[in-house]
Amino acid sequence: MANIISASHLTLGYSNNDADIIKNANFKIKKGDFVFITGPSGSGKSTLLRSFYGQLKPKSGNLLVGAQDMNKISKKKLQELRTHFGIIFQDYKLINEWSVAKNVVLPLIIAGYNTDVQETQAKRLLKHVKLSEHADRLPLELSGGEQQRIGVARALAKNPTLILADEPTGNLDEYSSNVIWDLMENANEQLDATVVVVTHRIPNIFSIPYRHLIIENKGIYEVH
Amino acid sequence: MKYIKEHIMFIFPMLAILLGIESFIVFDRMSQNYEQELKADYSMLVLANTSMDLAAFKQLDGSISAIDSIEKRSIVEEMVQGMSGISAEDIMQALPHFYTVHLGNYLDTQAIEQIKNRLVASENIKKVETFDKSHNASYNLFVFIKIVLWTFVGFMTLTSLFLVIKQMEIWQYSHKERMQVMEIFGASTMLKSGILFKRATIDAIIATMITSGLFAFLRFIWVHKSNIEMLMQKEALLFAYKDIAILGGIAMLIVVTSVIMVVVGSKENKL
Repeated sequence: MANIISASHLTLGYSNNDADIIKNANFKIKKGDFVFITGPSGSGKSTLLRSFYGQLKPKSGNLLVGAQDMNKISKKKLQELRTHFGIIFQDYKLINEWSVAKNVVLPLIIAGYNTDVQETQAKRLLKHVKLSEHADRLPLELSGGEQQRIGVARALAKNPTLILADEPTGNLDEYSSNVIWDLMENANEQLDATVVVVTHRIPNIFSIPYRHLIIENKGIYEVH
Repeated sequence: MKYIKEHIMFIFPMLAILLGIESFIVFDRMSQNYEQELKADYSMLVLANTSMDLAAFKQLDGSISAIDSIEKRSIVEEMVQGMSGISAEDIMQALPHFYTVHLGNYLDTQAIEQIKNRLVASENIKKVETFDKSHNASYNLFVFIKIVLWTFVGFMTLTSLFLVIKQMEIWQYSHKERMQVMEIFGASTMLKSGILFKRATIDAIIATMITSGLFAFLRFIWVHKSNIEMLMQKEALLFAYKDIAILGGIAMLIVVTSVIMVVVGSKENKL
């Protein structure tokens, strides 16, 4: 299987003057992998994820995402690369003045799909995350668990090759968390999407094989 | 409700700016018209030893735009009637040539004094009468009105610009997260700012229509109902169709500037 993310001697930090957050890390994530990245609070899990979608450039070392060198990627290429991602945030990052259905099809709007395709996909995705009856409501009218299901539906909207999730169940109760994990397992198994989840705790009930990377003392290590 | 409020919050300052600009355009048109009238009404009286044409006057001073020779024969003939031994021809030859001289621009008394000096310096010119007392009073009143209006319009535009900037800050705050989320999912700058641009363009069109409508109302309806003779004669100065294009252009310039500022201000950072 081809590598979808490849890091060699990767060092991350917010500016050259600040201390390194990740230092000299080496790892590979293959297409189709389901990877948990864990570590204590402040260890750099979210920072690492941001570097995957190009919000933070490496301080040094190499980071390849898809075929793109994240040190040299142009704004245009980054835009194009991001359209292949599904990103899920701990605090959902929904557009609160848009309806649930419109939020879900954001990647399709960006890709320029027509409204018929958007409507069909919105119905399918909302049915998939069991929110069909809330299509026309605003996100803030729904519970946290429901909002995160919108976030997952949005991430799946354009059949992404890579799903990046930052503490997707961090604010949710056990029932809602299990629903989210189910959806992500399905995405990995049925859509063959590579899934990278940053979390401080791996869920107890997880039915598919996964890899576990841990961040410790600024380094990244595989747990076997 | 929030949607309408957001529109009104941008339309109001935009309206204030456009009203200020349209007032400026109207006042400028009126002052130009008034200046034309003053200029047309004003003339100097020049007494020359020999006959002179416009080119000869222009050689003495370039700001002279037209001359009229004052017909003296009929007056002289009327004078000599009943006077024995005096021929009209003798008087005609003894009298200098009289001219009313018009200027190309409406000038202050100092400039007129300079023209007078240049004319008097010529051996052919006997006397120049500038009527500067009445001219000076009109000129000073004209300049005073201009300054008052420009100050008013300038103050109004400045205040409105502050309101637009304030509104842009509110926009920046309320659209920042949406634009950042869209950027994370790969949206282009055009797409991110498209919604904002569309909304601001609608507001600009509404503000342009209201402003143009108001001044068109003044010209076509209010003036006629007012029965003010002076305004009725000058109604065309209150509104011209080209004003719609000027106001629309300025409104769009404000919109483009505002949207660019909001987009630049919401550059992607840590989400």
